[in-house]
Amino acid sequence: MKRFLVPLLLTLLFVIEGLFAQLLPANLFNGDYILVPRLLIMAIFFLTIYGSVKHGIIYGFVYGLLFDMVYTEIIGVYLFLFPLTTYFFLMIMKVVQTHILVVSFVSLISIAALEAAVYGMNLLIHIADIDFTSFTEIRLVPTLALNLIFVILFAYPFKKQFEKFADRLRND
Amino acid sequence: MPQFFLNKRLIILLVSIIILVALIGFSLRDRDQLSWPEKFVKDTAGWVQSVVATPTQYVVGIVENIKDLQNTYEENKELKTHLEDMARLEAKVYSLEQENAELTEILEIEGSIGDYEPMQATVISRSPDRLWHEMIIVNKGSSHGVQKNMAVMTARGLIGKVKSTTPFTSTVQLLSAMDPTNRISAALQGDKKLFGTIEGYDKENEWLLLKGLPIDAEIKKDQMVVTSGLGGIFPGDVPIGKVIEVVPDQFGLNQTAYLKPEADFYNISHVMILTRGMEIPEEIKVEGEEDEGEDL
Repeated sequence: MKRFLVPLLLTLLFVIEGLFAQLLPANLFNGDYILVPRLLIMAIFFLTIYGSVKHGIIYGFVYGLLFDMVYTEIIGVYLFLFPLTTYFFLMIMKVVQTHILVVSFVSLISIAALEAAVYGMNLLIHIADIDFTSFTEIRLVPTLALNLIFVILFAYPFKKQFEKFADRLRND
Repeated sequence: MPQFFLNKRLIILLVSIIILVALIGFSLRDRDQLSWPEKFVKDTAGWVQSVVATPTQYVVGIVENIKDLQNTYEENKELKTHLEDMARLEAKVYSLEQENAELTEILEIEGSIGDYEPMQATVISRSPDRLWHEMIIVNKGSSHGVQKNMAVMTARGLIGKVKSTTPFTSTVQLLSAMDPTNRISAALQGDKKLFGTIEGYDKENEWLLLKGLPIDAEIKKDQMVVTSGLGGIFPGDVPIGKVIEVVPDQFGLNQTAYLKPEADFYNISHVMILTRGMEIPEEIKVEGEEDEGEDL
């Protein structure tokens, strides 16, 4: 049963991301800003650093593909960018130490990189047609603010969970 | 050269870029249907989503009900003023309906372009990748009779059209999406009906753009814009929005009207998928395109 704990957690986060817009009170921002929850990729970052790199990258592929199929209907963007940002995250983590605060900070930077890369990709395939400044104002900054709250809330539970996962892997 | 081929990372990167371009190209094609793996994944995800969504929406509903209670007094006052007008309107609607029925009987007209049958559906999820993909997923699919390109509305007005269906869910693309292929044939209500297409969304002001109106037409503020029903699958007379501002387009050949949408694109929990009541002529059914029907 414990074997399925990590995929179960990631699937739950995947579903919560889809429900998030329904749950957020509508009149709070009234559509002026766009807040994108990035819990799934955040969990994958923590999984690679505290759990196992191989599992992190594979889950990145699988959930990237799922995200593309279910939420965007354009297969390829997240399938490619989830593992790539995870790799980018690992590259940065190689030069800094794995203290929980540092990990949280670097994962926020990686989320910003992911957002910018998605914007670039969508600009290429003509889905996005706004300039970078309004993108920053409407989506990037609010998203980072939201995910800052999430990372404060979830960094420690994620760390605990994935360290247990790493222990289980070693024991097997 | 051999050194180049030995660089494993570079090869992986190149191969994955090729796969990426192929996959994106495949999904950007104007597809009639999703491929079966996608349908399977979306249905499975839809099942999981509705399992989670039902209890959460129930809780959110309770919270909203409590919030509603706070405004009850003011709402009550406002509603009472509306109510006085209701009786008069009701009588008028009744006599107009009677008259309409008699006249259509005399003229032997069968059905109207504005006839539709609504199908209730509940939102089970919304794409978190907002701004690029303004989509919601609802719990009715092709097995319930939903087809691609059907109109979707809330009680207040049109919100979008069905982008794709799977047997048990369907994906609705909202009017606020930036997708340039997201076009809807619309009509301006007035003494003389003017036709145009809804294309594009102004994110900063939250206005819809109605393009292709004749340059010499006089358009007033607050004129109502509805669907034209000329597109084939859409029924007519579904409210879309009100005119806010009219500007000549970039070449000065047409006018573009900015509309304030009637429906709220943010707070959506229950929607209606509209099945057109009037029969669609065979040829249009085959083509199934929004804009094809316009020369009729």
